[in-house]
Amino acid sequence: MAPPPVLALALPSETGRVLSIQSHTVQGYVGNKSAVFPLQLLGYDVDPINSVQFSNHTGYPTFKGQVLNGDQLWDLIEGLEANSLLYYTHLLTGYIGSVSFLNTVLKVVDKLRSINPGLTYVLGDEGKLYVPRKWYRISGEETDLVVVVPVASMLTPNQFEAEKLTGFRIVSEQDGREACNILHAAGPSKVVITSINIDGNLLLIGSHQKEKGQPPAQFRISIPKIPAYFTGTGDLMTALLLGWSNKYPDNLDKAAELSVSSLQALLVRTVNDYTRAGHDCQSSSLEIRLIQSQDDIRNPEITYKAEIYN
Amino acid sequence: MAPPPVLALALPSETGRVLSIQSHTVQGYVGNKSAVFPLQLLGYDVDPINSVQFSNHTGYPTFKGQVLNGDQLWDLIEGLEANSLLYYTHLLTGYIGSVSFLNTVLKVVDKLRSINPGLTYVCDPVLGDEGKLYVPQEMVSVYREKDCIEQDGREACNILHAAGPSKVVITSINIDGNLLLIGSHQKEKGQPPAQFRISIPKIPAYFTGTGDLMTALLLGWSNKYPDNLDKAAELSVSSLQALLVRTVNDYTRAGHDCQSSSLEIRLIQSQDDIRNPEITYKSEIYN
Repeated sequence: MAPPPVLALALPSETGRVLSIQSHTVQGYVGNKSAVFPLQLLGYDVDPINSVQFSNHTGYPTFKGQVLNGDQLWDLIEGLEANSLLYYTHLLTGYIGSVSFLNTVLKVVDKLRSINPGLTYVLGDEGKLYVPRKWYRISGEETDLVVVVPVASMLTPNQFEAEKLTGFRIVSEQDGREACNILHAAGPSKVVITSINIDGNLLLIGSHQKEKGQPPAQFRISIPKIPAYFTGTGDLMTALLLGWSNKYPDNLDKAAELSVSSLQALLVRTVNDYTRAGHDCQSSSLEIRLIQSQDDIRNPEITYKAEIYN
Repeated sequence: MAPPPVLALALPSETGRVLSIQSHTVQGYVGNKSAVFPLQLLGYDVDPINSVQFSNHTGYPTFKGQVLNGDQLWDLIEGLEANSLLYYTHLLTGYIGSVSFLNTVLKVVDKLRSINPGLTYVCDPVLGDEGKLYVPQEMVSVYREKDCIEQDGREACNILHAAGPSKVVITSINIDGNLLLIGSHQKEKGQPPAQFRISIPKIPAYFTGTGDLMTALLLGWSNKYPDNLDKAAELSVSSLQALLVRTVNDYTRAGHDCQSSSLEIRLIQSQDDIRNPEITYKSEIYN
């Protein structure tokens, strides 16, 4: 019999084909455990490369497992390539644990773009984002880091990372908008700073530069503060933004409304479930109720609206 | 801050918590790629241990990747144990590639049962190269290739019950050119089991991942209908058939000759059929 047909070529997808290179924990919802299921719910074929396989996330007192190195990552890419299985519409990466792995990820970006020049590379938060020397110094020493931001199509940093990337503190909405402008200039046409604390209020600020050189279309969404800590929410938010922004490519504000609404419903359910079980939600970080919130991910009720900046 | 609460203890599940030890392929739908998503759709928290990470399944001309050995599997179990994270309602295993790995899996069964004596172990005993056949305690889903008669199928279930499992589903038996599923539930030791059959249409195509998917569906539905294995099988068969028909239709519409190669299943596109199957295949109870 012939080899199986190449799905991506035989059956063009209405949504997309995502290569997601993130960590895998056996228990709990972070990394690929947090990102893959939501994208599948939104109709995407997701191909996960697990950069690690750990028993649980590293916020627990202990963890055990195995780590993928750059060569092993490249082995998988070569295996896919040998079967003509490297056509992807999207690449998604999160936490990258070493310079060696990062360098291989950059090779992966190039390889995928050589096959599909229209590839969208979504770069999430959770950990280090690498920045050019001129932007980032640690206590007087220049760090020998590699530029990743310029090759990304969409960036979803949190406030801390946006500040590190741009080199200044974000204390006002104007600062947040300016941070987006600086990041656009480095490469990505879509930037979402997922959570900014301004005067005790939480905001999301999104920015879409539809044409190079043109001012971007920017908006904000007010987010309620929930008195609890969660793990995996950054990875989940990035996956939701990928999923919805691909369905509404010209309306990043709508994609953000859907993503925020899904996430907030899930966080409220998570707090309620633990509270009802008698747990003090402020005593530890919480694993999110991802499975139990699948309807909110598949069909979110828009409860948070974007306000467009003029 | 304190360590995160142990989900299994803090939040008892209405469905279950499944530890699934199967292969992972980056592309395609076999092993954990075929089993985890459906169980999540049915509301289960699934904890996958990936026994391998390959680029694609081994039916392609080539594949590359990494294999977990018994020690590495046990490392993960020790990591979970150190955080009191070993409370599971279900263990699910599929293809096991070596005796070393198999022996560690048996240790895992013992360990999990020491924490939850009520653990249900759902096993799809795909034979590996060493040809070792084993029959664990709870549930066996077996694929038979050679032709036989229905009475053979029912008798095979009886033999398997005697070895341990109280629930047996032979997912696909070829009898006189017709395909049957035969299910058997021995509700009490020593009593004759309740047995049934479901006629399944033959689809003129080959697929990969359907065995892993069927086993996952049987786990998911039989846990929701613990005393009605026939109903669980009806739901599982109905879901699977809808997915297979969609898969053939999608490839055919795209101009592909479905008999020329095996097909990756349209798992994502069939999620509604998995979550809310329309029962299109009914079981017939044997007297």
